[in-house]
Amino acid sequence: MNLYRPDLKRFRFLRWFDFRSWRLGMIAYILNRVTAIGLVLYLYIHLAVLTMLAQGPSSWDPFIRIARAPWFLALDVLLLAGMLIHGLNGLRIALTGFGIGVRGQKPLFVALMIVAAVALIAGALKIFAG
Amino acid sequence: MSITLTLRILRSRRDVMPHYETFEVSVSDAANVLDAIEQVWAHRDRKLMFRHACHHASCGTCAVRINGREKLPCIVPVADYSGKPLTIEPLRNFDIVGDLVVDMAKFFQNQQASDFVITRPTENELVGKPIAYTGGMDPESASTIPFNRFENCVECGICLSACPTMAGDHKFFGPAGLAAIKRQLDKTTDPVERKRLLELADGEHGVWRCHSAWECTEACPQQVFPAESIMALRKEITKKHFRELFGK
Amino acid sequence: MQNRKRSGWGWFWQSVTGVALIGLLGLHMVAHHFVAAGGLRDYQQVIEYLSNPLIVVTEIAFLIVVTIHAMLGVRALLFDLGLTARAERMVTALVIGVGALTILFGFWLTYTVTMQGSMLTALLAP
Repeated sequence: MNLYRPDLKRFRFLRWFDFRSWRLGMIAYILNRVTAIGLVLYLYIHLAVLTMLAQGPSSWDPFIRIARAPWFLALDVLLLAGMLIHGLNGLRIALTGFGIGVRGQKPLFVALMIVAAVALIAGALKIFAG
Repeated sequence: MSITLTLRILRSRRDVMPHYETFEVSVSDAANVLDAIEQVWAHRDRKLMFRHACHHASCGTCAVRINGREKLPCIVPVADYSGKPLTIEPLRNFDIVGDLVVDMAKFFQNQQASDFVITRPTENELVGKPIAYTGGMDPESASTIPFNRFENCVECGICLSACPTMAGDHKFFGPAGLAAIKRQLDKTTDPVERKRLLELADGEHGVWRCHSAWECTEACPQQVFPAESIMALRKEITKKHFRELFGK
Repeated sequence: MQNRKRSGWGWFWQSVTGVALIGLLGLHMVAHHFVAAGGLRDYQQVIEYLSNPLIVVTEIAFLIVVTIHAMLGVRALLFDLGLTARAERMVTALVIGVGALTILFGFWLTYTVTMQGSMLTALLAP
């Protein structure tokens, strides 16, 4: 569907989801948004969960037993993936925005994502090893 | 050799609901997409609204989207699409005048804001000396008014159509306008003018609005590198802010 | 012409907090996942962990920086919906409010847990 048809102007907010081409810079942009939204949601989930700490060990410790289950640890790996992608791609955006590495932004993105992948594998191994 | 090509064109007018219309035209296999659009107009529908002038990527008037990507149809061979149907749509992020024609008024306004003109003084000869060509002018004015060479930017609007920030925020100054500011900045050492240009590029809906998707640079048919200009402007503005913060 | 009176410090602080977060979040993750025995801390371990004032200061710094970064980000994403100038001002006020509440909540939580911890330690002391 063409979101730019003049009769669809009142749906212009849908253009927010117009991901257009799938070129490298665009992929980085999409990844950054998706991880950003995920991380903000997580921040508030995290704070809500931490409220259990204020209720003492009877509330917190049963939760921690669940949180140490393998399926829960898989969610931690997902979280780590989001942080690594967002953080390292964010570093690229910050650097290029200050005029550093502008011409090399594509190799910079690839290199940082390789770093993210390696760190994710190492982190996942550590998380599951306990 | 001639080939038959299917074109799906987004049609719209003030009084016509937007809809796609499919046309079959016959063009030479060496034709460019603009030739095919002209064939539609010549043989299928004289009411088709589209815009073009030079046919060789120097006027920037014909820009449309071909299968979702912003292109200058005058320089894109139909052979690139190996006979597959082509969907032709007007540029995004502009108001549509009719069919493939969009309203460029605001775009040109932003281009003009920095006093950007698409001509510039000629470059020197390869050996470094100024070109002595006088081209019929009297020698005196030839030395003071060298002939001009065009800027890379052809003001086609493709970068604005490709930009995802522009899609969301219609108040964004836009890649072409910001690249123009950067060009003007490079041409002057006058502190007052530099300050004016940097302030023009600054602000919530100026350079800081860009989300670094680099689509403008990718889509630009003329190597203007608008995204790189935006990054350079951010650096300059940050430097200016810190100088102001520390009293100079 | 657009309103371009105000400069764009938002992006600048987004970058500065972002770069700071690479360090702070790295520390936060290492401290909570890669150092603690059993992967995650139980209540007793959290209390011991928070008894170190340096840790409390780091966690508070993390809380403030991450909230600023998140709120600037949410604001930027919402601005992409093509808002009117009035709606933009409302979004700005909203993220300032939500951000302040978030930081206050974090303060309260840290205070409560540390206080509980020190009471508990006092009770358990021989």
